[in-house]
Amino acid sequence: MESNSTISKLISRLFDIRVLGIIAQVIGAIVVALTVSWFVGNVAGNLEALGEAQFICEDGSFSYRCAYDFMDSAAQFDVAETSFGMDYKNSDSYWRAIIVAAVNTIRITIYGCILTTLLGTLVGIARLSKNWLIANLSKWYVDIFRNTPLVLQLVFIYFSFFLALPSIKEAAASSNYVFLSNRGLNFPSLVPTVSFGVWAIFIAIGLILALVIWVVLGRREEKLGGTTNRALWAPAALTVPLIIGWFVASASSAGNQVMLVNDASGITGLENIPQVIAERFSVDVSELGGIRALADAGDIDQKTYKDSRLNVCAEKDSLEAANIDSELRALNLPYTIKRVKDADKAFKDFSDGKCDILVAEKGFIESEQLTLADTLTSSIVAIPESPIRLSLASLEGLNFAGGGKMTPEFAAILIALVLNTGANVGEVVRAGIQAVSKGQSEAARAIGLTESQRLRLIVLPQALRVIIPPLTSNYLNLAKNSTLAQIVAFPDFWTIMFTTVNQSGRAIQGMLLTMIFYLSLSLIISAFLNWYNTKVKLVER
Amino acid sequence: MTAEKKELGPEMVVCRDVQKWYGDFHVLKGIDVTVREGEVIVILGPSGSGKSTFIRCINRLEEHQQGQIIVDGTELTHDIRNIQEIRREVGMVFQQFNLFPHLTVLDNVTLAPINVRKWSREKAEEVAMRWLDRVGIPEQAAKFPGQLSGGQQQRVAIARALAMEPKILLFDEPTSALDPEMIKEVLDVMRDLAKQGYTIMAVTHEMGFAQSVADRVLFFDDGVIVEENTPAKFFTDPEEERTKLFLSQILNH
Repeated sequence: MESNSTISKLISRLFDIRVLGIIAQVIGAIVVALTVSWFVGNVAGNLEALGEAQFICEDGSFSYRCAYDFMDSAAQFDVAETSFGMDYKNSDSYWRAIIVAAVNTIRITIYGCILTTLLGTLVGIARLSKNWLIANLSKWYVDIFRNTPLVLQLVFIYFSFFLALPSIKEAAASSNYVFLSNRGLNFPSLVPTVSFGVWAIFIAIGLILALVIWVVLGRREEKLGGTTNRALWAPAALTVPLIIGWFVASASSAGNQVMLVNDASGITGLENIPQVIAERFSVDVSELGGIRALADAGDIDQKTYKDSRLNVCAEKDSLEAANIDSELRALNLPYTIKRVKDADKAFKDFSDGKCDILVAEKGFIESEQLTLADTLTSSIVAIPESPIRLSLASLEGLNFAGGGKMTPEFAAILIALVLNTGANVGEVVRAGIQAVSKGQSEAARAIGLTESQRLRLIVLPQALRVIIPPLTSNYLNLAKNSTLAQIVAFPDFWTIMFTTVNQSGRAIQGMLLTMIFYLSLSLIISAFLNWYNTKVKLVER
Repeated sequence: MTAEKKELGPEMVVCRDVQKWYGDFHVLKGIDVTVREGEVIVILGPSGSGKSTFIRCINRLEEHQQGQIIVDGTELTHDIRNIQEIRREVGMVFQQFNLFPHLTVLDNVTLAPINVRKWSREKAEEVAMRWLDRVGIPEQAAKFPGQLSGGQQQRVAIARALAMEPKILLFDEPTSALDPEMIKEVLDVMRDLAKQGYTIMAVTHEMGFAQSVADRVLFFDDGVIVEENTPAKFFTDPEEERTKLFLSQILNH
């Protein structure tokens, strides 16, 4: 009897939920410890098997500390494209290669998150639209992109769309400003020149002024009531300094830009270029605009045309090239800008007599002109500059020069990620809006708020609380799914790391770096959204 | 009795042959009512009789498909400007309160005066505090709606409607979602407003309120006004059989 009651006491003790909780935690801890030790043992075993060669140091000794020393050696592979004008050549180190690749991934992630948010918001609202067509279009879009694999979408967009586009020549013939070809998208871009710095000061002044006026008038509205039209005054306060600044910057730019003119051409400045070219073609200055069409039609011999038009030498993608391009475009005459890899090459072409004019940095021209003294007489002529120049893409040789550019690889991975994640975000936005009860909208209408005030003050602030947590997961998905770039051979972090691992044989080091990189990227995104989430959280009892 | 004493002003709400359908279902089958300034109208009727739908038509939360609704001289049409103007002059209190949970009590009350009436924050807050004081909860101003009891929330909702200084107040079953002990605090506020001379249209099941405060009782059934009478006659000597049945059902439960 005695022992029986002890046992039953023990059993009932065992079913106490506090005890059960402790037991569960202990079991959990053991499972985690076993798993971790298995992983660590596995990694250690693999490292052992790989041998000491993995950890060779500069002085020939072996140490785990030297696991990443190999990263300092030359990568010896190319990175097809870099972001934000970063430089890379295949003699750079592995470190440089993966940093350039990491920036590529970050660029995709930033653009992707921004575009996804825009698309998702639009689709989410469209799905709730009372317009049958809009609601159904967005429903079909969401259904198709949520229910098919991202890989399929990516492959489809890349191979069936971008690679099936017309060739560069055909694209150039069909359009003047935006060119969509199988080599990507070329479009006009804005190039800041030297005097942009001066204008930037005026932009800053304008922004500060606009902000101050916005805040001051806002306070006034709060204090005195009524409306002050601050939505009109603030932009006006920005525009005035912008206009003044433009003229000040242009005036201050005198001497920033120069061109080196081959005296044999007879050109003495921008003003007499039309006369010179018109004489070469033996036509009147007013007829210069039609020359190109004549050449295209075959009425002027191609060789004559190429020799007689104005030939300019410049470095590819330089602001000097964009600047002279804008000036010459305004003159409406046949010209070409021969854009080469660097300024030295451009100078060599000029000294060989291949062009009438060379544009480059002022200091470069001044020092290089001296070396020309014996072979060619030339003079330096100042040309005007404005803070920003429009750079148009144009076909030169076998590729486009000038303007902005997006490669098919970058465009494909970006579009695929945005379309896929956008479908998910659309559903998140729809759910968020629907989570705000109908009564909220009715109350907002009943107190006289307009429809836009209702959305801005009542619906969106409440919907955001529901939207942000799943939105965070979608951003994280986008960041991690960007590794699919490997399929279209876009050099993102994963693609380059994969090449690095293959080439160096350092798999474990590579995987570790990959984990660290994507973990950091994800944590930064979550940290930002968590911070935002606490800002919009609701206070409840 | 109160009805005779009261000096009634001009017409505030005029409804002529108001009809509405939900799909095939005919909810309102021709409602004719005129409400004068200062009148207190209580609308009674079984559930599904269209009384809530009718009251929600007056500030265009529901759209009527036939007939005319004229509020303070402005006709409710599809013109958004008319709709906005009427909504500014008509306050509404809902069964489920519908306070904005992301704003404090004070912000709930000042939101419309600041954004719609374009008052200064200072003036709006002063007026809001006066109303919160009037409904008896000035000390809750800094709290969020989720931190208040149902009765307190409904009183905030009344203050929110009053802060716009509306010409007409609509109550859509304001006490139906409240615990019994909180009903009185809301009814007291409503009684007080009726005494102040507000024009009120209230859908409610509070017979005591109807008897003591209303100038007229409208009895709705099946989308029509079956009986329109003074409360004294309505409760003691109704004209219609349907009314008698309704009264026997609710008074003898």
